[in-house]
Formats: sequence, C-alpha cells, structure tokens
Amino acid sequence: MPRMIALVLKHRVAIILALTLTISGLIVPGYLSGTTLSLGLDRAAAIGLIATGLTVLLIAGQIDLSGGAIFALAGIVSVILQPSIGILPAAFVGVLVGGLSGAINGLLVVGLKVNSLVLTLATMLIFRAVAHWITNSQPVSGIDIMFSLAMAQIYLDIFSIRSTLFIVLIVLLHVWLTRTIPGRNVFAVGSNPTAAEESGIPAGRIIFFGFVFAGSLAGVAGVLQSLVTNTGSPVFGSELTVAVIAAVVVGGTRLEGGRGSALGTLGGVLIMAALTMAMEFQSVPAYIQQVVSGLILILLVVLDRTVHTRGRTAGAIPLLVTKNPITTGGKT
Amino acid sequence: MIGKKSMIYVAVTAAMLASTSMAYAKTVCYVTAADSHAYVTPANLALQERAAELGIEILSLSQEFDVQKGTEQLNTCVARGVDGIILWPLDPQAYIPGLARAQQADIPSILINSPMDDAANQFIKSFTGPDVYEEGEMAADALSEAMGAKGTVVVIAGQAGNGTTIGRVAGFVDRLKETNAQIDVLDTVNADFDQQKALVVSRDLITRFGDKIQGVYANDDTMARGFIDAWKEANPSEPTPPIVGINGQKDAFESIRTGEMHATIVQSPIEDGKLAIDTMAEILDGKEVNIRLPIPLTVVTKENVESVEPAF
Repeated sequence: MPRMIALVLKHRVAIILALTLTISGLIVPGYLSGTTLSLGLDRAAAIGLIATGLTVLLIAGQIDLSGGAIFALAGIVSVILQPSIGILPAAFVGVLVGGLSGAINGLLVVGLKVNSLVLTLATMLIFRAVAHWITNSQPVSGIDIMFSLAMAQIYLDIFSIRSTLFIVLIVLLHVWLTRTIPGRNVFAVGSNPTAAEESGIPAGRIIFFGFVFAGSLAGVAGVLQSLVTNTGSPVFGSELTVAVIAAVVVGGTRLEGGRGSALGTLGGVLIMAALTMAMEFQSVPAYIQQVVSGLILILLVVLDRTVHTRGRTAGAIPLLVTKNPITTGGKT
Repeated sequence: MIGKKSMIYVAVTAAMLASTSMAYAKTVCYVTAADSHAYVTPANLALQERAAELGIEILSLSQEFDVQKGTEQLNTCVARGVDGIILWPLDPQAYIPGLARAQQADIPSILINSPMDDAANQFIKSFTGPDVYEEGEMAADALSEAMGAKGTVVVIAGQAGNGTTIGRVAGFVDRLKETNAQIDVLDTVNADFDQQKALVVSRDLITRFGDKIQGVYANDDTMARGFIDAWKEANPSEPTPPIVGINGQKDAFESIRTGEMHATIVQSPIEDGKLAIDTMAEILDGKEVNIRLPIPLTVVTKENVESVEPAF
C-alpha cells in the first residue's frame, strides 16, 4: 500500500492531468474531441514556450519575471520591421531581441550579483515601458494577413506550428537535463551554488546562459504570437508571467531551485490549458477560473511537500532564498 | 454476451438522444470586452436577456480587455462547436486568424460595438454597433447650431489611433467643412477618454486660448466633465461656452439641465447588445443580413433632456 501511494505521488502531475481530462470529458459535452486537443495545444504553446525557458532557470535557483514583457517586445520588433526587411528576417530579429533581453538579465544577475527576483522585476518594467514607447502605446499591424492565416493553420488535425515547436523543445530539454553532464550541472547549481562552484562547475556561466535561453524562448513565443495574430501589442503577455510560473510549479519544479523536470512542465502547462478550456466550455466566469487554478496550484504544492518530506541542510539553501529580501525580511 | 451488447445499444441510443436534444437549443459564443465596465456591462446584460427571450444559449467569455485572451477564447468557441460567434474586438487585426478558423468550421461570426480592419470583412457576416463617424457629424451640427455657425473651438479627443477617436474626430471636422460653417478648430488634444487627463489638458487650453474658446467638442462625456471643472476653476463666475459630448451619460444629462453642457449624443449600450443578438438570431434562421448595422443615435439638448433615457 505505501508503495502504491508513493507511485501515485510520483506521477501526480500525469494523474491530475488524466483526472482533469476524464472529469471534464464526463461533465462537459463535446469536450473530448480532436478540435479541443488541437486548439488546446495551440493555446498552451505560448505559455508553454516561456515555461520551457523558465524551467531551466528555476532549476538553477533563479527566476525570470520579465518573460511576459520580452514576449511583447520581441513580437512588436518582429512586426514593425516587416515592411523594411521582410517577414522572416524580422521574425529572426525579434527572437534575437528576446535573447538579448535575456542576456541583459543574465549579465546583471551574474555580474552585479543581484537577486534575480528583484532584478527581473526591474527589467520587466523597463522592457514593458520600451514596448509602450516604441509603439506609442498602440498596437501595430503586420503586412500580410495571409501569412498569419497560414501560420495559424492546424496540420494533421492536431498540430499547429507553435504547438509542435513547444512539444519538440520540451522533450529535447528533458533529454538534455536528464542525460547530459551540463544538464545535470544545472541541478547542482540550483541546489547548492557554493558547493557547485567549489567542485568546478561554472555556476555563473550556467546561470547566464539560463537567462539567455529563457529570454530567447520568450522571444520565440512572442514572435509566433505576433505572426499568428499579425499584431504586435505593448499589452500582449501582461498576464502571462503568473500563468507561466503557475504552470511550471504545478509541473513539480521548485521555486527554491535544484529540483524540477521538463516533462513535469509539459504536464503543468497541459493541466492549466485543459482546465481553462473546460471552464470556458461551461462559460465559468473568469474570476472563478482563477480560483480553481489557484486551488490546483496549492494541491500540487502540498502533494510535492508530501513526497519530499526530508528537510534541507542549512547550507544547502539556494541563492533565490538566501539572497531574497522577501524571504529574509530585508536582510541580504 | 447478448445482454451486454443490448445494454451498449441502449446506452448509445440514450446518449444520442441526449445529445440531439441538447443540440436543439442554439448556442452562441459571446466573446465580450469585459465583465465589469460602465458601458460593456449593460450591453452584456441586454444581450443575454434578449438571448433568453429568443431561446438562444449564450456561452459568455470575457476578455478582461486582454486581446491575447480574446484570441484564445475564439479557439474555445470553435472547439466547442457553437452555432455562432459574437465578438467584441479590441484590436483591428489580431482576431482575424480566429475568425478564419470559425469560418472554416462553418460558424458564422459577427462583430459588436467596435469595427475591425477591412481585411476582417470576408470572415464576418455583419458588424453591429454605433457609427462613430456619424456621431462626430451629429456633434458638429449640434455645436454649430449653438454657436450660430461661426467662431473658434477646441476638440478634446480620446486615445490617439483608437478607432472610436478617429471616427468621432473625422466626422466632426468633415461635417463642419461640408456645411461651410465658419468654425475654426484652435487645437485638438488627446485625453484618452479620461476625466482626470481631460482636466489637465483643459487647464492648458484655457490658459493658452482664454476667451477664444467659444465652443468645445469632447469625444465623450467624461472628458466634457473634465473641461467643465477646469473652466470653473479658471472663471468661477462666467458661464461655460457651448460644450458637446458623446455617450449620453447620466451626469451629462444633469449638466445639460443646468446649462453647463449644450448637448450629448446618446449611444445606448442596451441597443448595442440587443442588435447584436437579434442579428445573430436572423443569421441562425438562415436569413441574409447587412454587413453594417448601426444602432440608433439621439442628440440630447435642453429641449428633449426630460424625455430621453440616459444611456448609462
């Protein structure tokens, strides 16, 4: 019996996803269908791509709150450059802007040794302000709506371009994190940066590239969103950050660093998308949807604590907690 | 074995019966701008009440003024396989792929309240809502009449680039030219449909132009209120110049009664909501509808202020 419970707890993300789908399928008429799957995956992709980047950062003991702002900024750049350099080069520059924004975050966090929560809170405001500034707070439109229609196309009745990209990337990330030495090092940096550094792991470099990766993926998500909607808007992604963090945490990745999984994030993203769609099918008001998402988040975090009851040793508390003015009451 | 099989048949038949009886009532997906807003809420309620009368089930999704959320909600509507979609667009382009998906799935869509770019026209059956250009024209006539067709005015506009602002300003300027009124616009300033911002820009206008402000056109009543407050600060004893606003809010009616405002144009959210669902009902009945269906507009001055209902 305890083995059963352990097994259930270990696969809690998959089980909750299955439960969400089963219950929704029973209650909501017409929920379980190919169209729901394909459109659900498509809407999960924007959150999912940013969540993929954030998973690496959280495992490394860092956080990035600026993802939603980078999402908007990269999308805007990819749209306003379209008339001068063409759609695909503009999209490329948009992704580059994402990577560059991530590099700025990484340089400041590693170089100035600033806490990432505070620093990305600041860059979130700055990136968002730049997005408003270059667009004069107005949405900008692309040059070719037909291209957007093609981008939004669903292939083989299931996959859109961005949902495919999301799934491929998250599986690749899973392999990288679990099967390669650099991937394992990310966990080492997250669970105890000092020990990692002393055993020869370049913690600073790993954290820097973690931010570049997260920024680039937020850029990819933003550019794809702008291509699909033919619109770059300074308000795009303003509510994404919280949804992304929720999806990653639901997937079992710890805010404290050192523990997490890419497949868990995939599960977390799918749970949130499945839930939202089920509630929208039933016309559940937006605020109740938020309450339900919050409860699921609490449930999974509690289950997570039940699995890992052993406490950490004092020296093993990672950067985000020890150098965080919120958790240390202002003392860093 | 046989017993089990017949059980399955019974279950399948029951399920089919259940699903057909549920499919009988038509379901319309209503992607609205927000749940709580001075104009949107009464429009939502009116739409839902009328839908209940017509026997149409409404699947209401609120964008909370988030365009991205709206584009995703269109996906839900298509996946749900509804019979029609009513969209309150907050962006001229972003919803087009979603509307195209709906069209591919043979779901008719209409727009309520705000227009989109012409590129969207091939994916929608109709756009129901106020004609903002006509509102500008009506405001020009009202102000021109109050000023004896000559003088100098200021225009307090909404957000730059916003479709409503563009229409309301263009209609006003074009109409003045068309009627050969000798009215010059001293300046047009943006105050984003915000009373506080209107107060600040009005102070500047009053300082700059003083007595030259012989008339005021505000793109909505809240901004007209901002001008009135600024005027009272600067010239407590002088009466306000003729002011024309748009929307027909309760407090604008009060200002017209006291003479602080000359006129407003009533654009009723209730008519807005009703017209959309009525139009959708006609589409679901297989009738052809006009691509553009405006809601009725009324100019309100001191003469008819007691007989017209304020919009909200």
